[in-house]
Amino acid sequence: MKRILRRSWFIFIVVIAFLGGMGFLVFETVFNASDWVDQPYNGHISGEGGLSQAGQITDRNGEVLAQTVDKKRVYHSDADVRKALLHVVGDNSLNISTAIQSQYRSQLTGYSFIWGLNMPKSFRSGHDMKLTVDAETCKTAYNGLKNYDSGACVVYNYKTGEILCDVSVKAYDPNSPPKITDENESEYEGVYLDNVLSSTYTPGSIFKIVTAAAAIENIPDIWERTWYCGGKEEIGGGDITCVNAHGTVNLQQAFGKSCNVVFAELAVELGADKMNETAKKMGINARFTVSDVKTKKGHYNVKNANKNQLAWSGVGQYDNEVNPMQMAILCGAIANGGTPVNPYIISGASGSVLKDLGLSETGTKGNELVQGSTARSLGELMRYAVVNDYGDSMFGGLKVCAKTGTGETLTGTDNDKNDGWMIGYCTDEDAPLAFACVVRGTNQYGYSTAGQVVKGAVIQAAKSLRK
Amino acid sequence: MTAVMDIAVVALRMLMPLYTIIIVYQIYASMRRRRRHERPLVLLQNLDTGVKTPVLFWENSIGRNRRSDIAVDDPAVSRNHCVLLRRKEGWFLSDTGSKTGTYINGKRIGASRARLMIDDVITLGNSEYAFRRGEEYHEELQSSWFFSKVVDKPATKPYKIMLLVSLFHIFMTVEAMYCDGAENFDPATLCAVLLGVEWLFFFISTVVLHRVAFELESLCLFLTGIGVMLLARQNIRSAYVQLIAAVIGMAVFCALVKFIENPDRIGQWKLIIMIAAVGLLAVNLVFGRVTNGANNWIQLGSITVQPSEFVKIAFIFVGASTLDRLMTRQNLLEYIIFSAICVGALALMGDFGTALIFFAAFLLISFTRSGDIKTVILALAGAGFAGVLVLNLKPYVLRRFETWRHVWEHTQDSGGYQQVRAMTYIASGGLFGVGVGNGCLKYVAASESDLVFALMSEEMGFIVAVTIAVAVATLFIYARSVATRARSTFYSISALCAAGMLVVQMALNVFGATDILPLTGVTFPFISAGGSSIISCWGLLAFIKAADERTYSKRVKG
Repeated sequence: MKRILRRSWFIFIVVIAFLGGMGFLVFETVFNASDWVDQPYNGHISGEGGLSQAGQITDRNGEVLAQTVDKKRVYHSDADVRKALLHVVGDNSLNISTAIQSQYRSQLTGYSFIWGLNMPKSFRSGHDMKLTVDAETCKTAYNGLKNYDSGACVVYNYKTGEILCDVSVKAYDPNSPPKITDENESEYEGVYLDNVLSSTYTPGSIFKIVTAAAAIENIPDIWERTWYCGGKEEIGGGDITCVNAHGTVNLQQAFGKSCNVVFAELAVELGADKMNETAKKMGINARFTVSDVKTKKGHYNVKNANKNQLAWSGVGQYDNEVNPMQMAILCGAIANGGTPVNPYIISGASGSVLKDLGLSETGTKGNELVQGSTARSLGELMRYAVVNDYGDSMFGGLKVCAKTGTGETLTGTDNDKNDGWMIGYCTDEDAPLAFACVVRGTNQYGYSTAGQVVKGAVIQAAKSLRK
Repeated sequence: MTAVMDIAVVALRMLMPLYTIIIVYQIYASMRRRRRHERPLVLLQNLDTGVKTPVLFWENSIGRNRRSDIAVDDPAVSRNHCVLLRRKEGWFLSDTGSKTGTYINGKRIGASRARLMIDDVITLGNSEYAFRRGEEYHEELQSSWFFSKVVDKPATKPYKIMLLVSLFHIFMTVEAMYCDGAENFDPATLCAVLLGVEWLFFFISTVVLHRVAFELESLCLFLTGIGVMLLARQNIRSAYVQLIAAVIGMAVFCALVKFIENPDRIGQWKLIIMIAAVGLLAVNLVFGRVTNGANNWIQLGSITVQPSEFVKIAFIFVGASTLDRLMTRQNLLEYIIFSAICVGALALMGDFGTALIFFAAFLLISFTRSGDIKTVILALAGAGFAGVLVLNLKPYVLRRFETWRHVWEHTQDSGGYQQVRAMTYIASGGLFGVGVGNGCLKYVAASESDLVFALMSEEMGFIVAVTIAVAVATLFIYARSVATRARSTFYSISALCAAGMLVVQMALNVFGATDILPLTGVTFPFISAGGSSIISCWGLLAFIKAADERTYSKRVKG
């Protein structure tokens, strides 16, 4: 008898194994419950993409962007506003995974791990969410962007982190989502991506900000130097070309006129290591987090590049890729003396949603991207470019520091279309806005494409802030 | 008005988890109470030294082996010399193949049991012992925690626990009646029948059979009732079928408890039981019906039966044994062959969940009997090989392994369809549940059996579901505790094995539905819908009940 009892110790092993499994189950449930709930088949939140009990989504001024009326999800009355904010708000299909309605569906529907989903009707209330975006600004940006195949425009307050404008094209009307079939697939390519967060483009000349930063920090006599640009120069067995022959220029002039020859020479002089180091410090290869969504990583690495490629990389060609939100954050960092305030899009929510999300209501400080003194110098360069090359009147009286760029998407054919860019920020006290705008599918330059889109958005955003 | 109703409904839902915990605690707490003091039943006094050795168990091995219940330090005594047993009729001594023989009052005894009277003298090798009454032992004994400090607290009266359980089922009924805003009085009728069954069983047990304890039955009635009431708003007909099966199960429970009252009689039945079990599996293999890739059902008229469920009971009969038989026949071969046939037949049917339960039970029994860890490792290795073979032969099992831990990539195909829904609805239920009948998982196939843990969690809340699972697991610890006081090793082994089967089955059910283990489609004991399953669960419970020493002792009036 004793022997049998002594052998029964293994019962505790079985029980401990069971309790271990149970602990694991509890752990998994606690941490994944909101993901588990957000399933299209979930009967408790079925119909209207599961949004039939979801709360209101409003913009910064309280304009209703989406709400549920009689179990139907209703979006903004203006079709342009609907399309402009499609990628921020989302639609009933939940295909845009970074949109608020997809990301926070369970919170919008009032889900919490403790209370579950199906409270009695009189208690059932979706949580409302207030966003930082300005519907009017987004609409302005959308009207500019809608003529292009693909593009993105983001404007945010670099002091507080509030995103005022986040528009991506292609877009569609959430009231009538397209049926995407094999035939029309190409027409809707990338339509579910918010290009502001989830796409990258070739930077072109806006990357000269990075090259300039590397030069300012590593070449002591950079401000005294001059270069001669004859329109093209052979570096590493291939020509680096400029649009015009810029003649003799100093750094400021080279930056303003966007002289490729000068920045190509600088990249070669600095060398791959210094270029990589500066790009890394400025967050080119990093992801940024915007209200729980991670941006797509940019790309810069010239470790294995030859001399010609290194030269091209200095003017944002080679295989460089950057993300619009990332560039806006970089501009915000320069405006803030080197350290950005992280942008965010949800400014408030009813109930305890914010607590559930673990988000604070203000933007938090990010890591330093640029040294303070370098940031000041870059700011001067960007200001010079606006005053002398784009014209200070462009932004309707706002004091703007900016850089345009035209990234060539090098496929090697005549049909090559460019990525036109404009990024920058305003220094006005009452309109601290950093912005980035990119459009694809143009054979024109960044100034006349992205520049025209973003100026309207920035002016409108400043108006909204000053209201 | 609706607001008041809603507040009441929500308050009730929040009350349920706390209530579940109270019930489970009360049941286990009173299992520990109202037990006799640990004291020696009899004692053996060495006539040379005068040292008194207490005899604590109903079955005791005596020998030179230090691990014997009564160790005798005498080179002339065999390692396993003889066995001292208590039966209703009195005390017996039987020789288990000793070299020097066992003598009572100078008369040599054999393997058959010889009657032993108080003050008889037992001679083993060069040692002589007088057989004395237990009252003559005055030293303190060490008790295990389960039996220590139990004296002061009075047990909760069995009828009070039953009232708690019944009220719980009434609460579930109220929820089921008013779910989805639509009133439906079907659950009320069902509940009335359920309560009738519960109290009739209680009446039979306490008044007719004079049993002292009813906690184990209360726990299982509690679980059975939850299973029945969960079905009320899903399929009222299957709720009644389940209840009828439960009644049959309770009858089987009573019959089995009676049948194994005399553990010595089982030896004679063993062969018949084995043949019947193998026959049942053979019939299943020949006439079985294939459902979900597993051929484990047979159709009898309008009802379907799962024979493998009943073989579980036979499995324990064959595995457990009384101590004197264990000592004389240490050979496990007969049992190993029987186990191999059972597990093999189940594998052929494609019922790998049940095969796994049998295998776990086999490991439990063979280790308890032999204490040989090598056997266990060997068996595990063999099972591993068999498992690989199975994966090669049965592609649909392989598929379950392929999707295991990847079910979210298979939300719309059979690889993960059930599991992801189980998890989604567990999460949707939150800690307090959406209320009985309000769930959505009930529309998913097999939710009332394979996924019942999730169903329970969705409708009654995560806290209730986890508490119930832990309550079933605690059955194992309870079985071990009562096994230390059981009247025969037959009861100890069978109680451990029965509890082990129930716990392993429950673990496979819970962890299978939540993708912590591959989904094997076994039932949650007592709660899952399934007639054969609930009958066999009540049958297995009989072994745990029988191990409790109070079961066969009649209540003394007054």
